[in-house]
Amino acid sequence: MEQNSIPTTKVERAMRFVKTGAQIGGNYIKHYSKKALDPSRTKEELHEDNATDVYNALSELKGSALKVAQMLSMEKNILPRQYTNKFQMAQYNAPPLSGPLIVQTFIKSFGKAPQEIFESFNMKASNAASIGQVHEASLNGQKLAIKIQYPGVAESIQSDLKIVKPIAFRLLNMNEKELDKYIKEVEAKLIEETDYELEFKRSEEISSQCAQIPNIAFTKYYKEYSSKRVLTMDWMEGLHLDDFLKTNPSQEIRNSIGQAMWDFYDIQVHELKSVHADPHPGNFILKENGVLGVIDFGCVKVIPEDFYYNYFALLIPELLNEPGIISKIMKQQEIINANDTQLVQDKITEAFMKITRLLATPFMESSFDFGNNEYIDKIYALGEEVSKMEELKQSKVGRGSQHALYINRTYFGLYSILNVLQAQVNTGIRDWKTNLIQYHQNHLATVKKGN
Amino acid sequence: MKDRIIEQYIQLKLSDSAALKNVYLFAKELEIAEKEFYEHYSSLEALEADIFNQWFIGVKQNLEKSELYDGYSTREKILALNFAWIEALQANRSFVKEVWKYKKDMLSLPKMPSFLKPLKESFEAFADSIINEGIQNNELVDRKFLSDKYKNGLWLNLLFVVNFWLNDHSKAFEKTDAAIEKSVNLAFDLMGKSPLDSMFDFGKFVFQNK
Repeated sequence: MEQNSIPTTKVERAMRFVKTGAQIGGNYIKHYSKKALDPSRTKEELHEDNATDVYNALSELKGSALKVAQMLSMEKNILPRQYTNKFQMAQYNAPPLSGPLIVQTFIKSFGKAPQEIFESFNMKASNAASIGQVHEASLNGQKLAIKIQYPGVAESIQSDLKIVKPIAFRLLNMNEKELDKYIKEVEAKLIEETDYELEFKRSEEISSQCAQIPNIAFTKYYKEYSSKRVLTMDWMEGLHLDDFLKTNPSQEIRNSIGQAMWDFYDIQVHELKSVHADPHPGNFILKENGVLGVIDFGCVKVIPEDFYYNYFALLIPELLNEPGIISKIMKQQEIINANDTQLVQDKITEAFMKITRLLATPFMESSFDFGNNEYIDKIYALGEEVSKMEELKQSKVGRGSQHALYINRTYFGLYSILNVLQAQVNTGIRDWKTNLIQYHQNHLATVKKGN
Repeated sequence: MKDRIIEQYIQLKLSDSAALKNVYLFAKELEIAEKEFYEHYSSLEALEADIFNQWFIGVKQNLEKSELYDGYSTREKILALNFAWIEALQANRSFVKEVWKYKKDMLSLPKMPSFLKPLKESFEAFADSIINEGIQNNELVDRKFLSDKYKNGLWLNLLFVVNFWLNDHSKAFEKTDAAIEKSVNLAFDLMGKSPLDSMFDFGKFVFQNK
């Protein structure tokens, strides 16, 4: 997909979306008129048409809009597959910063042009991220990767999101109030992602605490050549997922990488309670010797304690047998609320537990084969089924805590990478389960005493 | 001497503009004879205009000295000039704001304020050589009548950038960087081969053959 011209002003960007809105409207008209002539035409084709138009609009935008596209593409359970396929194309290659702007950014950050700092500096970007781009350089014989951010990104995010909102409401069939808490969560994360100093700090924290995991590699960052808008790190050799798979790695190597990835997330979620929440393929480098390289700590979700204990209790069947615990969790997680009738509560709880049981499958067994497409297809199918539930469609409020947004996304991302990787992973037996059971038993005991 | 005059002028402009009422008072501040001042400048207005021009010449010379600049395309050369120009103004933002402030309205008039005239001449001479280079290497399209106006376009772009920068409240003037990048890219897209050329060509063809 060509991305030659970026619409620049707010008005222009808004116009893109207006155009897209009109196109989607047009697609519906086209769909129903065609359907009148050709009854075999399916809704799939309509979704495909819409996805193309939305993608075309998004691909001409930069920065946060592209990020939202990425975000939506991870939410496979919410969006029909046709949307997500198109959105996934948005994950790579945005248009470049000019040479003089790169020099300018360096001068502002370090008082010198990159050519004066490094032995070599390639002015041609080797990779584009959604809010910046990556350049190759070298210093004292060490190959470096330098991430440079577009100017003013942080400030344009808020206005971008205002533009994205209406289209998101359309796509997700929700009203403004309902989406507000989620949009706020996304907004806060997007703004954090523009702060490379924060990313530097977080990468140091997480990588030092996860260093003991076998077969994992973190890159070294250079503080003296990093600023709010420039991040300098060692270049990591290896391939991104797609290219890696083309080399036909053995099952053993796939398992080794998959296991490293699983352990990496396990420790972050259950021990650090703060997690690299952007598991899309662009953030990992896979090596032929079965080592997983982690790059990009832009998006880190800190997990609040009470959210943690309720959300992850769902993974422990013996806990869920305690009377009343499910409804307590449903309320804490904001899946059901006080205004729901008993019937609605029951129906939603039932559907939610069905999804949970399915998603928790890998945790139930001591090892799990993510290469099993049947399992992944079941998740999609159930996701679509639930999204069509009348009780959910008619709901005037958002279901689910805003914290779940990035945690869900993390696990969807993790599952889908492991699926593409076709890895078998040891998943089940973990210490944190004891800790969770303990917490809830203590909690239930105090409640009983209180009575 | 010239440097001292300029330095003193900028300083007084910001701290004690009463001393700039006339050349006599200014020369007194400089502790030189009024006559000596006229060896360098004919008036205070001419001095003020020369300050901007000198800055520009400095920026241009610095750029042309750097190896990187040689390898740039014409688009990148204009981008680099704009970035370096704003960087140079940064050191004297208060002064620029002061001068630009009381003459701001004049920018909307067709007549150029006198303090910008020498700057405009230097800039357009520079832009002209860049544009010729661009036309020769096919980065820009030579269009009858219009090509002569390219340099005016780039000049207006420079004025836009300075105005944007003066009103920019973003930290480290990040938005000005974006404004330069986007406006110069737009200008070069317009001056390069565009669908408009094909449209014009087609329109002419239809008109001539109907």
